[in-house]
Amino acid sequence: MGSRPGPRLPRALRRVAGGFAVPLGSVIFAFIVGALLVAVTGGDPFQAYSGLLCGGLGIACANGENSALQISTTIVYFTPLIMAGVAVALPFRAGLFNIGAEGQFLAGAVACTFIGVKFSNLPAPILLPLVLLGGILAGAIWAGIPGVLKATVGAHEVVTTIMLNYVAQWLIRYLIVGGPLQLPHGFSVSSPIGAGARLPSFLPNDNSLIIFGLPAGVYRVHTGLLIAIAALAVFAILLWRTSLGYEIRAVGQSQRAARYAGISVPRTIIVTMLISGAFAGLAGAIQIAGVDHNLTDKYFNDTTGFEAIAVALLGLGSAVGILLASILFGALHAGGAVMQQDAGISSSLVQVLQALILFSIAANFLRVLRFPAFGRRPSAPSPTAPAAALMTEAAKAPPEETQT
Amino acid sequence: MSTEPEKLAVDMHGITKAWPGVVANDHVDFSVRAGEIHALVGENGAGKSTLMNILYGLVKSDSGEIIVNGKPARINGPRDAIALGIGMVHQHFMLIPVFTVGENIMLGREPVAGPGFYDYTRARKDIDELTKKYGLRLDPDARTGDLPVGLQQRAEIVKVLYRGANLLVLDEPTGVLTPQETVELFGILRDLLKAGKTIIFISHKLKEVLEISDRITVMRRGKVVGHLTTKETNEQEIATMMVGRAVLLRVDKKPAKPGAVAFRVENLTANSDRSVQALRGISFELRQGEILGIAGVEGNGQSELVEVLAGTRRATGGHVLLGDRDVTAANAREERDAGVGHIPEDRRGVGLVLNYSIADNLILGRERASAFSWHGLLLRLDAIRNWAKRLVKEFDIRTPSIETPARALSGGNQQKIIVAREMGTRPRVLLAAQPTRGVDIGAIEFIHRRLVAERDEGTAVLLVSAELDEIRSLSDRIAVMYEGRIVSVEPADTDEARLGLLMTGGGTGAKTGAA
Amino acid sequence: MTFLGDIAHVLATADLWRLTLEAAALLLLPALGGVISERSGVVNIAMEGMMLTGAFFSVVADLAWHNPWAAALVGIVAGGLMALIHAVVSIRFRADQIVSGIAINIFAAGLTVFLVNRLYGLADVGHVGQANLLPYINIPLLDQIPFLGRVLFQQNVVVYAALILLVIVHLVLFRTRLGLRIRAVGEHPQAADTAGINVYVIRYGAVITSGLLSGLAGAFLAIGISNTFVPNMTDGRGYIALAAVIFGKWTPFGAFVACLIFGLGQAIYDNNSIIHVSQYLLSMLPYVLTLVVLAGVVGRSIPPAADGIPYAPENE
Repeated sequence: MGSRPGPRLPRALRRVAGGFAVPLGSVIFAFIVGALLVAVTGGDPFQAYSGLLCGGLGIACANGENSALQISTTIVYFTPLIMAGVAVALPFRAGLFNIGAEGQFLAGAVACTFIGVKFSNLPAPILLPLVLLGGILAGAIWAGIPGVLKATVGAHEVVTTIMLNYVAQWLIRYLIVGGPLQLPHGFSVSSPIGAGARLPSFLPNDNSLIIFGLPAGVYRVHTGLLIAIAALAVFAILLWRTSLGYEIRAVGQSQRAARYAGISVPRTIIVTMLISGAFAGLAGAIQIAGVDHNLTDKYFNDTTGFEAIAVALLGLGSAVGILLASILFGALHAGGAVMQQDAGISSSLVQVLQALILFSIAANFLRVLRFPAFGRRPSAPSPTAPAAALMTEAAKAPPEETQT
Repeated sequence: MSTEPEKLAVDMHGITKAWPGVVANDHVDFSVRAGEIHALVGENGAGKSTLMNILYGLVKSDSGEIIVNGKPARINGPRDAIALGIGMVHQHFMLIPVFTVGENIMLGREPVAGPGFYDYTRARKDIDELTKKYGLRLDPDARTGDLPVGLQQRAEIVKVLYRGANLLVLDEPTGVLTPQETVELFGILRDLLKAGKTIIFISHKLKEVLEISDRITVMRRGKVVGHLTTKETNEQEIATMMVGRAVLLRVDKKPAKPGAVAFRVENLTANSDRSVQALRGISFELRQGEILGIAGVEGNGQSELVEVLAGTRRATGGHVLLGDRDVTAANAREERDAGVGHIPEDRRGVGLVLNYSIADNLILGRERASAFSWHGLLLRLDAIRNWAKRLVKEFDIRTPSIETPARALSGGNQQKIIVAREMGTRPRVLLAAQPTRGVDIGAIEFIHRRLVAERDEGTAVLLVSAELDEIRSLSDRIAVMYEGRIVSVEPADTDEARLGLLMTGGGTGAKTGAA
Repeated sequence: MTFLGDIAHVLATADLWRLTLEAAALLLLPALGGVISERSGVVNIAMEGMMLTGAFFSVVADLAWHNPWAAALVGIVAGGLMALIHAVVSIRFRADQIVSGIAINIFAAGLTVFLVNRLYGLADVGHVGQANLLPYINIPLLDQIPFLGRVLFQQNVVVYAALILLVIVHLVLFRTRLGLRIRAVGEHPQAADTAGINVYVIRYGAVITSGLLSGLAGAFLAIGISNTFVPNMTDGRGYIALAAVIFGKWTPFGAFVACLIFGLGQAIYDNNSIIHVSQYLLSMLPYVLTLVVLAGVVGRSIPPAADGIPYAPENE
């Protein structure tokens, strides 16, 4: 939101402070309830959270974990979350709820793997753009279907995207369990993508090189991070600096005003979903090209796209917010493993925390809208406004142009 | 407050209700005698609906007391009101379209047979008895959503009677009705009165109020400003009380110098949102440098006409020529690009994106125009800012900054945003629908002056207004619309009586159809 | 041609249809809950989480008490409590009902695994003995009817319960005063409110009922069809139930037909030794079919008018 024109400091500062109040409160609420849950079931919440802190941010590690490695792991986790978060946040602005980031993410991963395996001999300058583009396209198609259905027959995108999530999930099971992508003689795993399809790591895969006390090869931070940051910038520019972004926001705020302005609501819905799916598909492609290099059974239970919903909401749909929320969720992910190891508390506590954050952010939604003054003037636009439009006009009926 | 010792059906004392930023009811005293039709009149936003919602338990008052049939009453919700014999016919019907009329009527008071099953047959019998008793023809088995508005309203009235109401509150009941339906409604109200019911009739249509009511309470800006007896008052007195000023608005203007034909409309037809024919062959010419006023009772096709001309509604037949170009099928963007400005009648819902800043609102519809956008892709933020600063100054939009959301401004300033946007681009044709509705006097005068100035610079202005005064003081010619047709085009100095006659379907002699 | 022959052969076996009905009943319970909840105007995509919670707690209770009936009751209540959270968040706080639903599903997935770990360590939950499972009951005499007896009258007790509930839910929704009010609240809450109906009470009741039914389905899955709890064991069934609600156009019997179609897919999947179609492709069927329905190919599926919109009376 910092990219908006106008008089700067004091108001901008106040806006930022007001903007942080709700998400921060939600996170604190979640951690308190989580601590109670741990305590009630006979665990030590302090031990659990220090495990999370160490695993996520490399701070206060008691059992000899390597801080640098933990931070690297966190970065690897949050890289796809950023792009998937954008894939949820952008449609929010248009008054659409994309629950399908998960399916679009998986579609992107499948396309990337497929191309990376079938053309594994191509050199990197050709193959790498090709697999990423494949992911983008697959994600866009996966999101375009709900977009078209919404724009033409008014089918609710929440339902259609849920259905497509499961289609994608079963598609992956089909492909790598006895299907065409399965590694010969392997099980529940695809063939690896060609060397040319892999995103380079920041550090050379050279185990004689010791960095922060560990061989360079163990750090998996990859150049996908740069793509994710670029995606975030594209998102912010698209939303606030382009005519299309203006129209997307107008459709999300008031379909009637948009129609009056001559903006085609169905077209805007479809375009928004296509772009959104492209982001999620790219996230999936980058996860394969940068980290896993093949599809595995891990993708059966992937939750990136669902976490993206929490990321987008917690980040209040803004670029900076998405970045911060992604870092938090990436850190929770990485921290969960250490917590389980050190404190003996199941890493699934992280999921519980995520759910609690969602509950409290969701329950706060209307309050933010109704009393936009969190120390701000009532005139300041609520950052969550688009998500409210979601439940009123955009989500309710098919666009008027297609009625009667 | 009554001077005679008559029995009061309702007596409300010192009712106060404040919303954030506005006092909707300010120590309101309101009493209704048993067996009368009592009109509650006032402009939009005067606090009539709030007062009645308090009586029906939908809104809780901050202070004040309510006495029903002589006993102090605590009304915490519609249930309490219903139990006290109060029934309300809301402006927006509280009917479920997919239910039958009978289901809607019995909802909340369903006769039961066996373990919780509702007894539709018995309900039907009760409804039949009711409708016979009051002469309200109604088919309980019809699907409510399929009925015309008049019958839906009748279902609402029966619903209220079915609950045993003795006091009926009707909130703007004629706003959605055709003239015939209004006549029928008044017949029903008189029958109800004979059967011993008491009726509160909310309206801002003075002729109807004078026709149907016994006594009148006038509200203005949240306060009661007058208690009147219908027989002893007249339209002028009520109107003055309602608006609190001498109504006449004079606009200084020179005679028009009409130029070439800007807009030629030929035999235009179009449907309403309900797929009923709303325009039945409209033809007229609009010239550069003139203001053509469209007079008519609301709902006679004016809205649809403007929407078709602005490209937000499809025509089903006929032609619209802009200069010599056929723009019948043009969409909103094409119309705007061709030089047609449009001030829509629904300011908050259509004309503005309320959460957008003033600057953003000032380019609505032109966000891809080359002045504000680099090849239709990137917004030119500096150009937008400068444009906004210029218009805010030129059109006297009172705002702390151009970054302030439109939502935060007063109605008058919101309207000025739209007027600035639509006039600022120097259109060839300006469609102005209800351009001063619900705005303060200062803004009204400003907008009137700008409309005339626009005309003097050669713009063709089509002015649609429900205010006859506005039409008469601004227009160079007046076209009267009735039931989807222009029944007559009159000179600007036509007197009010003749226009009123034309607007209600009289006075044309042999003239019908196209003018 | 042998493929078609195989299908014909499988379709002729009573076991396939028995399994179809069983799988359909498992989906029908949460689907009925979804119908009730959405008819009252609260979108419920949280059947998955409510089922999962019901499954977990019924296993915990059964392992502790060795009583399937008490265990099923615990599962039902657990599902109801999850629904209560959804109700409070989405009705009282007027939160976005979809976000709340997603949160319930994530919460249930996390909480059950977390509790498995706290209660049973990192090991397995353990298995419920055969004697402590919800029993399969053969209806005397009727189960002797050739073919039909096997299909209809040699089922788990929960299958019978589901079929009875189907009829009850249908009658309640479309014949009773309560049902009329539920539908009114889902179509036009303001109208219901002005008619003196308490919108909140109706919605709370409907959402909690959907949780109770989903909890029963969870218990059926864990201590009826299976005999233990494994993480994420519902595996999308709550979402298939949601698909069935939409496919069935928000009616109990419509949802049942959808459940039968989806259940047949499941049964064929289980019989996959004969028909050589990938079980995974078959698993997509419910979702793809629902998309086709939503695309309007088989006629529009229109939800209750106020579905998903929190009710806020004017006086706020």
